[in-house]
Amino acid sequence: MTELKKNYDSLVIGGGIAGMQAALDLAEQGYDILLVEKDPSIGGVMVGLNKVFPTLDCSSCICTPRMAESAHNPHIRIQTYTEVKAVEPLNVGFRVRLQKKPRYVIESKCIGCSQCERVCPVDVPHEFDYGLGARRAIYIAHGNAIPQVAVLDPTYCTFCGRCEKVCPTHCIDYTQQPEDVEVEVATIIVTTGLQITPMDRKAEYGGGKLINVMNPMAMERIQSSNGPYGRPLRPSDGKVPRRIAYVQCAGSRDRSIGVPYCSRVCCMYALKQALLLRHYIHDVDVTIYHMDIRAFGKGYEQFYRRVMREGVRVVKGKVARITEVENRDLLLRVELLDEEGRVAEERYDLVVLSQGLIPAWQGDGVLAAELDEDGFFRSISPKISPVLSSCRGVFIAGVAAGPKDIPDAIVEAGAAAMEAAIYLEATRYHERFIEPSAVH
Amino acid sequence: MSGIDQPAAGPAADAAAASAADAGRGARAKRPIDILRERQGERTPEQKEYFKRQTQVRKALLEALKEAPRTIPELAARCGLPSEEVVWNVMAMRRYGTVVEEELRGDYYCYRLKEV
Repeated sequence: MTELKKNYDSLVIGGGIAGMQAALDLAEQGYDILLVEKDPSIGGVMVGLNKVFPTLDCSSCICTPRMAESAHNPHIRIQTYTEVKAVEPLNVGFRVRLQKKPRYVIESKCIGCSQCERVCPVDVPHEFDYGLGARRAIYIAHGNAIPQVAVLDPTYCTFCGRCEKVCPTHCIDYTQQPEDVEVEVATIIVTTGLQITPMDRKAEYGGGKLINVMNPMAMERIQSSNGPYGRPLRPSDGKVPRRIAYVQCAGSRDRSIGVPYCSRVCCMYALKQALLLRHYIHDVDVTIYHMDIRAFGKGYEQFYRRVMREGVRVVKGKVARITEVENRDLLLRVELLDEEGRVAEERYDLVVLSQGLIPAWQGDGVLAAELDEDGFFRSISPKISPVLSSCRGVFIAGVAAGPKDIPDAIVEAGAAAMEAAIYLEATRYHERFIEPSAVH
Repeated sequence: MSGIDQPAAGPAADAAAASAADAGRGARAKRPIDILRERQGERTPEQKEYFKRQTQVRKALLEALKEAPRTIPELAARCGLPSEEVVWNVMAMRRYGTVVEEELRGDYYCYRLKEV
């Protein structure tokens, strides 16, 4: 891996779909971009999804070409497994301190052969599969990871040294330490994405402790053919689930956990997952309990109708409590709103909580851009240019700026790139620092 | 049958062997792996227990699967292990090519050892 340059026209923080789009849109105009990602691979949340609504296209089939394009663009430098530690405003632009976490693998020498992973004796719950699947203590993030470079998790290392012995390119370096590097950038685009709302404060839904009450991202992984089980099974005993319930607004529109807003995507991902379950499991009964279905985008209402036509039960009802019963089945106590509030109890094999979206990063005292009351980055011009943050030269896009779906995140990333390009031209930063060797 | 015995091989044995090798090495030059071990510090009791448990569970599952292909509840009963632990371990073995999925028996898939 070549050294970082001293100056970049833009720093993009977060290598998900929005970050990649912003980087590509600027790079195609000739600007030099530093794309920083905290995880071992770019791709963000989208590369782990099964399919996208309403078209049911394969998510990684859309995302991975974008990842490859970003990696191969001569104007984009990708820096994975790296965090932003300090941002100091300058007259024009920012001085940024980055910290590269140790992979214990020399990136430029690793050929992604996975031999180290195969000989490693320790299996570890895999973050990419939300703990349902396993990885090794040394591993490549996932099959579509970019870069295809291994990373060692020292917490689970037994210090057996097998990975070093088997590596054909001698790229294992146990002596690596965190490495700080400083760069100057003219603009920053924040595309740090999302987390799902934690369930530990929702005691009535099991507080995150019931094994067959699942978060929607884990459901995405178990629906994926490259997921932890290769098919939808329940985590407690590997049973093919025959009765599955979705609980909507479980972590959105809920003041009790500090998330009063609608997360915008939950209705649609629940409808999509429910439909796919009907395709994957013969005769499965899938019920979605909701307050109201919000199918706001192009083709979304038609998709909602299709899901109901294909046999998914969509019931207006508020789930009051989820209790684990015999055989780790789940008993839902539901107030049925279309039946004058009648309270019913229904038993299911598996329950998915349609958890909402919260920001993955809030600046951490590093970035001075202000936050809104909802915790997402604040736009100073939400109607005319929602990508303008409260800091001059800092632009926001994707879920970092508020909950939104993939198409909206991509459009917003394009807008942020355009605003950044306008800013770069206005400050003529590009001309001040352009180097003959700008292509790395 | 509990099916759980002391580990003969696996992460726990590796950790013990690495530790013994370290003690015997004395004043010789440090290898890079020793530098990592020093920086990470001694493995905690929780980490050691994690390695030990994984080795024991895998041994029990391998023995049960050598006898016959089985479903998760069958494996859990045969080995005296919690079924969720069996799911996670069988799926890990499936991912890394030790186990393959076979036919559906009722609501449960059957798993067998992969022929080498």
